[in-house]
Amino acid sequence: MKQYFPSDYLPLLVQFSAAAAFVVVTMIATHLLGPKRNSKVKDAAWECGIEAKGDARTPISIKYFLTAILFVLFDIEVIFMYPWAVNFKELFREMGSVIFVEMLLFMALLLAGFYYVIKKGVLKWE
Amino acid sequence: MLSIILLSVSGIASLFLGFNKSRSLLMPATLLFLLVALAVNLWDWNVPFTLSSAYNNGMMTVDKTTIVFSAILLVSALLVIPFSQNYIDRPQAQPAEYYAILLFALVGGIMMTAYDNLIMLFVGVEILSISMYVLAGSDKRNLRSTEAALKYFLMGAFATGFLLFGVALLYGATMSFSIKGIADYTNANVGNLSPLLYVGIVMVLIGVLFKVSAAPFHFWTPDVYEGSPSLFTAFMSTVVKTAGFAALYRLLAVSFTGLYDYWAMSIAVVALLTLVVGNITASHQHSFKRMMAYSGISHAGYLLIAVTAFQNTSQDAILFYSLAYSVATIAAFGVLILVADKQQGSEDFSAFNGLAKNNPFLAFVMTLAMCSLAGIPLTGGFFGKFLIFSSAFAKGGLNWLLIGAILMSAVGIYYYFKVVIAMYIREGKTEKIALTGLQQAAFVLSILLTLLLGVVPNLFADLV
Repeated sequence: MKQYFPSDYLPLLVQFSAAAAFVVVTMIATHLLGPKRNSKVKDAAWECGIEAKGDARTPISIKYFLTAILFVLFDIEVIFMYPWAVNFKELFREMGSVIFVEMLLFMALLLAGFYYVIKKGVLKWE
Repeated sequence: MLSIILLSVSGIASLFLGFNKSRSLLMPATLLFLLVALAVNLWDWNVPFTLSSAYNNGMMTVDKTTIVFSAILLVSALLVIPFSQNYIDRPQAQPAEYYAILLFALVGGIMMTAYDNLIMLFVGVEILSISMYVLAGSDKRNLRSTEAALKYFLMGAFATGFLLFGVALLYGATMSFSIKGIADYTNANVGNLSPLLYVGIVMVLIGVLFKVSAAPFHFWTPDVYEGSPSLFTAFMSTVVKTAGFAALYRLLAVSFTGLYDYWAMSIAVVALLTLVVGNITASHQHSFKRMMAYSGISHAGYLLIAVTAFQNTSQDAILFYSLAYSVATIAAFGVLILVADKQQGSEDFSAFNGLAKNNPFLAFVMTLAMCSLAGIPLTGGFFGKFLIFSSAFAKGGLNWLLIGAILMSAVGIYYYFKVVIAMYIREGKTEKIALTGLQQAAFVLSILLTLLLGVVPNLFADLV
């Protein structure tokens, strides 16, 4: 086995400082070299030619967030089911019907959650 | 581990009970669930050890220690629930969800006391923490409560990152997630341990010490405890702390006994720092609730002394101290909830002025709780401290830590008695506060437990 010494990593250090230096140098150089013509119009935020109005941070209805989170829950559920389904034959041979019952249990718990969500009125839009 | 299954199912049941129009059924149902879970938990008491280790493919163990720790968690929850009356009655409250989340949190707590595998430790910590993040912010209209939830969440997620990174490094070093497997590796490779192991231990310790709010990792505690609704602060400062110490001691005692020399000094220094920071800062607070937060930090320091001592008696000392601390803390928060409700939500020491005149019972409960927290003889807190100090003394070489701890408990007497003085000597008027039957029962139970622990400690000390 070849022995590595700290000095063998010197090229990495050189590369790293070159990368860092490039960033610093470009940032300073563009400030120094570029022409500067400031005006009110030029400094305004550019939004597809439309004049910017108000703040971008407006409150958004929580309903969008809830719907998105519910979608993620469905996603996670399916992610658990793929490996289960792919390996089902082998698992069934090893453990018997327990493996099927366990997935049913998982689904039951999850669906109880969804039933709760619907009863709670999360999906009512108005 | 039937109690875990039972608590999960009853949590879901409690969610659905919330669709009932009337809210009066919720609290009795939750208390019933908890009592059943407690009974089922104690049911395993005589299970032989060989059988219990077969639970869940070596993921969890049930033995007498874990049963007693779980029982402390369940009893704490039972004592907290009666004080939720004031929260149920608020129009915007969601009591069914609060109870369900409390039940789920207990599942996480019990997993933390009984884990046999670091994955289970992680899952338990997360179940408990995420429940707490939600409950800390449960007073949605209150800015402080929202702040507490966000702060707790961001800091907690960061600490969980440390924990998880540590677990990964431990796995990298030992090729095992099982705490017994890690112990086998460290015993088999003495003197030739992977450096990853040492880094892993430190990171896991940071993660767990954060959860129990030990000193360099305590900065979230006062703000979170003060901002959260008092009910959940009571739950947080008892259940989370007890579960955290159960987890910490279990990890160190099973996996890292052979590496005592490596971790003991760091834990000892953290213990002293926690004691100093907790007690000194607590002594100049104006808010009673904030004082209780710092007092919670300082009690983590006492418990860490027992961890450092690492004697045969240390685990019993931790159990005893956790029980005495939990009971006294919940009684104090119970009185605070009732008093603050009458004083337009003020949680300062001045809210207690003259409480003893019209509410002698509440004042007595508070005095007893403060005596127990300060460690005055004839209360549980005294014997808790006694057991911890004597286990540290038996270890030897920890006298500097003991001297610091005794000095700091003298500081503790000062700030715990500020509230007693306010209640008995200061002028003020609080009208008679009406207690529900359950609240009276919880207070009486906590008085009885505190006195029993203080007068006949042998009843509990030889339990495990």
